[in-house]
Amino acid sequence: MTRELFPAQEIGSLMKPRWQILGQHGEPLDERARAEFRVENERTHFADAESATAEALLAGRSREVGADAVRDLGALFALGLFETAGLARVYDGEARRIEMYEYPIRQMRGFQFQGHVRSFDNKYYLKAAVTDEVRLERPYHLEEFDFVQAHAHAEPKLPITGPYTLADWSYNEHYLARQRGWKGPSARRSAQREFVVDLAKHAIRPTLAALIEHGCRVIQIDEPAAGTHPDEADLVVEGFNAATEGLDAEFSMHICYSEYRDLLPQLLEAKRCHQWAWEFANRDGDGRDGYEVLKALRDYGDTREVGLGVVDVHRDEVETPERVSDRIQRAARYLGDPSRIWVNPDCGLRTRKLDIATRKLESVVRGAVLARAAFENPRA
Amino acid sequence: MHVRTGLTGPFPRSEALVSATRDLDRGRASAEVVEALYLRTEAEVVALEQRLGLDTVTGGYLRWPDLFRPFAETWEGFTVGPLTRWFETNTFYRQPILHAPPGRIPGAISARLPPPLRADPEHAGVILPGPYTFAGLLENRSGETDEALVHRLGRLLAEETRELAGLGYTTFQFTEPLLVDRPPSGASAEAVLAAYRAIQTSIGRGTSLVWTYGGDANPVFPLLDRLPVSGVGVDLAETDWEAIPSSSEPRGLGLGVIDPRTTLGEDPSEVVRIVRTLQQRRRPSTLWLGPGGPLDLVPWEPAARKLEVLPAVRQALAQRDGGSS
Repeated sequence: MTRELFPAQEIGSLMKPRWQILGQHGEPLDERARAEFRVENERTHFADAESATAEALLAGRSREVGADAVRDLGALFALGLFETAGLARVYDGEARRIEMYEYPIRQMRGFQFQGHVRSFDNKYYLKAAVTDEVRLERPYHLEEFDFVQAHAHAEPKLPITGPYTLADWSYNEHYLARQRGWKGPSARRSAQREFVVDLAKHAIRPTLAALIEHGCRVIQIDEPAAGTHPDEADLVVEGFNAATEGLDAEFSMHICYSEYRDLLPQLLEAKRCHQWAWEFANRDGDGRDGYEVLKALRDYGDTREVGLGVVDVHRDEVETPERVSDRIQRAARYLGDPSRIWVNPDCGLRTRKLDIATRKLESVVRGAVLARAAFENPRA
Repeated sequence: MHVRTGLTGPFPRSEALVSATRDLDRGRASAEVVEALYLRTEAEVVALEQRLGLDTVTGGYLRWPDLFRPFAETWEGFTVGPLTRWFETNTFYRQPILHAPPGRIPGAISARLPPPLRADPEHAGVILPGPYTFAGLLENRSGETDEALVHRLGRLLAEETRELAGLGYTTFQFTEPLLVDRPPSGASAEAVLAAYRAIQTSIGRGTSLVWTYGGDANPVFPLLDRLPVSGVGVDLAETDWEAIPSSSEPRGLGLGVIDPRTTLGEDPSEVVRIVRTLQQRRRPSTLWLGPGGPLDLVPWEPAARKLEVLPAVRQALAQRDGGSS
């Protein structure tokens, strides 16, 4: 199938609208939340199919509506936002998810939550230790995928946390305890390998298989921890390969805020990875070329697709379509093949208010149109 | 030979303090309530340190957002910059930005030390950034060369420790993960030596310990052995302990025997075996035992549990030494 150049896709979560947060906690919507709901519904008509639920929610009857129905509306809202912006691949903005670690771990056996660790300032995250062999309690994300599949007009693309990141964000007790003697660097590395592969084989792979069984064709495996320990790039790959072994879907790997060159060429050993979805816009500007690293892919002869981050999710400033187009064209030159590029935000847009997120997505799509025109009519 | 034990970095916040500080940020708790909880939790950390027989008390440095913030917020020439990953961890610090040659403000850091330390400076473990790590992890827009900056920060830290020594503090740790992550050489190494000469002079008869962590210390041991300080500490979970060089100098040696990256407890007999081997190889005048790095990489309960290895190891060493420690 021939696709037009530079199709756009979503890459992760959206900030939850105020009406969803209030509604799913059973609190009546305040005026601000109602206004937010109405404005967006007039724009995208996301709630048309659930008008009775929407009416009850707007009338202050959140408890009666129930948290699940509010989350359904939240998923429809995100789908509407993405599709109205013109994305070719969409998901639900992770409307039902709160984070990307605790929920998957709670669907598995072999873990015990240990308490909170400070990430910075007064921000914390809950961290579990693996205390027994990892096994899957139940495949997860199935219901949310079914919902997206039933309601999306564009192609669904499901994001799921990868085995390396789940292992890196956990404490390794079980596998480390099996190592003999002092638990130095070499023992820790062996133990981590066992942990990553067990997670991949016994928890992630069966989940992916179940999702594929439900019709999921495009799956983004999120490995934000990959850049934390560049010398473990081989473990990232081993986890990815074990998780996807024997499965038939279009897999991508999302890594952000990392020094990608440090992960190469080991990362290129990831089989069945159809697309690298990386962040670039954050490092582009102020005299720096954030896309230059793509030359390394070309130098290594890697011909996979690239999910190109063209807008920064950590700044409110909305990139102009012209700037986005320039980024796309530069990336295409470095890769030597424009047909391999998808365009997307650097990472999930949950860091931005919804109006900013919407404008950034619109810029992604309009920038892609400009870049497409530049390639298709080079003299225009 | 003396064996001393103590924390080598911040202790994790309790679950109650986690909740309270979150609530503070969300406007659901008052500053007074959180302050009371800080005081209570610091007292709990001190009680734990005392129960375990640690030689220094720290109170956990629970209020310090990161190693540099008290300096970046109070010293002249700095602003507080963007969130930046702290080495190979999932924790972050705000990178100090240095716009002009730095200057210290007398009294500013002593006022930021945990209250239990201020109440009992003689037994306090003062944990400060080392000049090399401080200079290397800030964004230097001051126009000074990196070497000059290491030297200048060393002199400022020397003034700081002189002031603290005047207040009765005697034990100072300089935290230097960058020494093993990015070992200095040439002029850079000379700047580190000069910085520590200034610091050691200011401390006088007090104790100065340079604590490295997060990487293998073996490549930097030739420099560590030249540092004019009471002792140097290494992270045994990251350092190939079997390759640690021998030494004929009767210097202090710090061994990070607790791995803060895992909640799995250390086996005391295994720790004793390694410590004994290194004792024979290095013949240290004083042996410091503690966590390899900041123990706040694990939550409160496992952190407290893991610390139990320190008195167990100390007791085992004392028995084999015939009670000399």
